[in-house]
Amino acid sequence: MQQSDMPPSTAPSDGEVPDLELVKRCQAGDTRAFDALVTKYRGRVYCMTYHLIQNETEAWDLAQEAFIKAWRGIGSFKSDATFFTWLYRITHNVCYDWLRKKKIQGDGEFDDSRTEHVAAAGAEAVPRAVRSPSEQIGGAELKARIDEAIARLSPDHRQAILLKEIEGLRYHEIAEVMQTSIGTVMSRLFYARKKLQELLKDTYENVT
Amino acid sequence: MKTSPDETQIVRWLDGEMDAAESAAFEKEVAAHPERRAEMESMKKLGATLRASVPASREVPHADFFNSQIQVRIAQEEMDAERSRPRSKAGVFSWLRIPMFATAAALIAIAGLLWMQRGSGSGSVILSSYVPNPGVQARTFHDDEANATVIILDGLAEYPADKSIAGHRVHHSETDTAVATTTLFSEDGGVLLVLAKDARNQPRVLSHSPRG
Repeated sequence: MQQSDMPPSTAPSDGEVPDLELVKRCQAGDTRAFDALVTKYRGRVYCMTYHLIQNETEAWDLAQEAFIKAWRGIGSFKSDATFFTWLYRITHNVCYDWLRKKKIQGDGEFDDSRTEHVAAAGAEAVPRAVRSPSEQIGGAELKARIDEAIARLSPDHRQAILLKEIEGLRYHEIAEVMQTSIGTVMSRLFYARKKLQELLKDTYENVT
Repeated sequence: MKTSPDETQIVRWLDGEMDAAESAAFEKEVAAHPERRAEMESMKKLGATLRASVPASREVPHADFFNSQIQVRIAQEEMDAERSRPRSKAGVFSWLRIPMFATAAALIAIAGLLWMQRGSGSGSVILSSYVPNPGVQARTFHDDEANATVIILDGLAEYPADKSIAGHRVHHSETDTAVATTTLFSEDGGVLLVLAKDARNQPRVLSHSPRG
């Protein structure tokens, strides 16, 4: 469980320019510094848009839109929040605006039964961690079932559980990203887990 | 939405948000309820399975292009903002506002920089277009069913009907970071265009094939 104030992969490694330094350069108009931030976070932002939208082509466009909006608003970024959380909040808003428009257009985007996946050419998931050979047996099938179950959650539940379990954000950070209360975050986490438990119990209980 | 105390406690226990004393007291409390305890352990295992199976990051298709498109849009927005500011004198590129030059410049750019790539289906998608004249906006639409692409150039002066516009069909691209250039190749491996960025992060054509 991640207990620090910053998710592990957002902490600068040796030789890497810290986010805040890059943000300051961006605020001075340095687009190359922003390009470095895009490179650092594009995979995670794209992963988030993909999980929310379930369409890789749209997710690609929305991830770009999130970065463009981040550039427009970077002057107002204050260092009392992490850049990562701030960027996720923008990404959340971009995706929810898109989902609202789709809902208005009658595409049923909030339908929990929606399981459509549209893959973009060249798309590939980056494994979070290397697994042992025994765990790799059946890993692809397990992952497919998990992806399908996650896709069946509502966007609110989906985002809450992913920000908690995969990104390791704290409750207050999830609340900040989703612009809701900590109580609502905890409720969404509980019901997301209940739903996933119901959908996946036979699958993950058999994983060794 | 309100949560019952039980739900809140379960969530905090699962997420390691309880201190040692609170956690021990809670575990002692649920020990008397085997079903609830089993459910909590199952949820804990679910969390471990998710963390091991779901990637935190996805490789972005055409990642270099993803970045360059953002830079192009930022540059375009800055140019738009610059253009909207009142000016007392004409700039050095004011000749581009002359319709004839604007037309030629826009069409040369469209002809040279339409960046087309085969999609997963039978048609193609336009990934990027670039117009050097800020007074002209290029929009493109592709219809798979009709297998046709329409290019709309807003702000362009009337163009003679007997002139043709040709784009490149790009099969793949290679970026050389050492010299900061991107080379676009045709299906037969021939070089179509060699691109670099200028000081404003705008694409600049270094060389192109004869048919461009």
